[in-house]
Amino acid sequence: MNDSDLEKRLKAARVPARDEDYWESFPRLVLAQLRAGSAKGPVAPRWLPRLAWGNGIAFACLMIGFAIGHWHGRVAKDDPYALLQNGKLLREVFTLFPNRVRAIVQDEHGVQLVLADQQDMPVSTPIYVHICDGKQCWSLVTFSGQELEIAGQKVTILSDALGSVIVTGTRFAWSSGLPAGESRGLKIEARNLDSITL
Amino acid sequence: MGDTDEEKLWVLQSRKGDPAAFESLIRRHQRMIHSLTFRMTGSLEDAQDLAQEAFIRAYRQLDSYQGMSKFSSWLYRIAVNVCLNWRQRERRREQVQANWAESNEALRSGGDSSNEDVLSQEVQTVLMRLPTQQRAAIVLTVYEGHNHAAAAQILGCSETTVSWRVFTARRKLKRWLSAKGVRNE
Repeated sequence: MNDSDLEKRLKAARVPARDEDYWESFPRLVLAQLRAGSAKGPVAPRWLPRLAWGNGIAFACLMIGFAIGHWHGRVAKDDPYALLQNGKLLREVFTLFPNRVRAIVQDEHGVQLVLADQQDMPVSTPIYVHICDGKQCWSLVTFSGQELEIAGQKVTILSDALGSVIVTGTRFAWSSGLPAGESRGLKIEARNLDSITL
Repeated sequence: MGDTDEEKLWVLQSRKGDPAAFESLIRRHQRMIHSLTFRMTGSLEDAQDLAQEAFIRAYRQLDSYQGMSKFSSWLYRIAVNVCLNWRQRERRREQVQANWAESNEALRSGGDSSNEDVLSQEVQTVLMRLPTQQRAAIVLTVYEGHNHAAAAQILGCSETTVSWRVFTARRKLKRWLSAKGVRNE
């Protein structure tokens, strides 16, 4: 085999084709990652799974505990994560803590309410996200721009102008608007809770 | 050929934080960058990850782009560096190589893939056996058509080093492809 033969052989090797949907969505995934990385301040506060609980959080726990206890008996027993899809409960919590709810998170340990220290959370449509990594599941209601640590990595929840929910992590980006978004072993469901008015 | 006026404008607007302008830059270069990252990794998943990483780094380093070289060359340099760092993920790389060898064997032993698919896999398999720097030199010179001087600029080494890497890599590739019985059509 001479140099020319080698060159021909190498060039004949094709890169596997990707469909047009991929090329259409890839730039948006990059931009979502950039937005997630550059988001700062109260619109996109960082918080950890067990969180640094600020002033008034203990009180919040009591209140949310009461609210959840009140509603828990009314939600379907066969879906442990139905609690966070209960519009009335969510409205009650948002009314109790206006512009302070960053997220409500449910995992195997129970439900946690995550509040901002001040009433500086922008009013927007809540987003429901359910993530499973094969061993554990997390269900949460939050708002666009929030960053949290879940399944061992930082995850940012975003909502785009088309109504799709974008979930980005350290090594993946997933969008509800794409039929086969990359999620690296994570099973993700997400949607805007348009019916919940704040 | 230098950058188009349109592309220069997109760079300027991206520096000012215009996401639509940067999206246009991504759309223009995404296939080229994916092609590079795939040749370097042999994995569609990793190629996607590294392409994303390259564009994110490019956006964050836009202020350092002086316009002295083509934007595509500057972007290429970033992408190559991202790929070279990928070699540090040794276990993942070994896994990819094992997968390639396995799927290649399956293709050879009969399947419904075309002959072109089989040959493409054969070539990618031997590319993956090359040391990363040699693979980068081959990808840049053979697949992307850069001359040794341009490849040296992208790789941040001397032209002589590129020439030596290309020479060594070619010798190995010929031997490995001959041993696999890959012949010209």
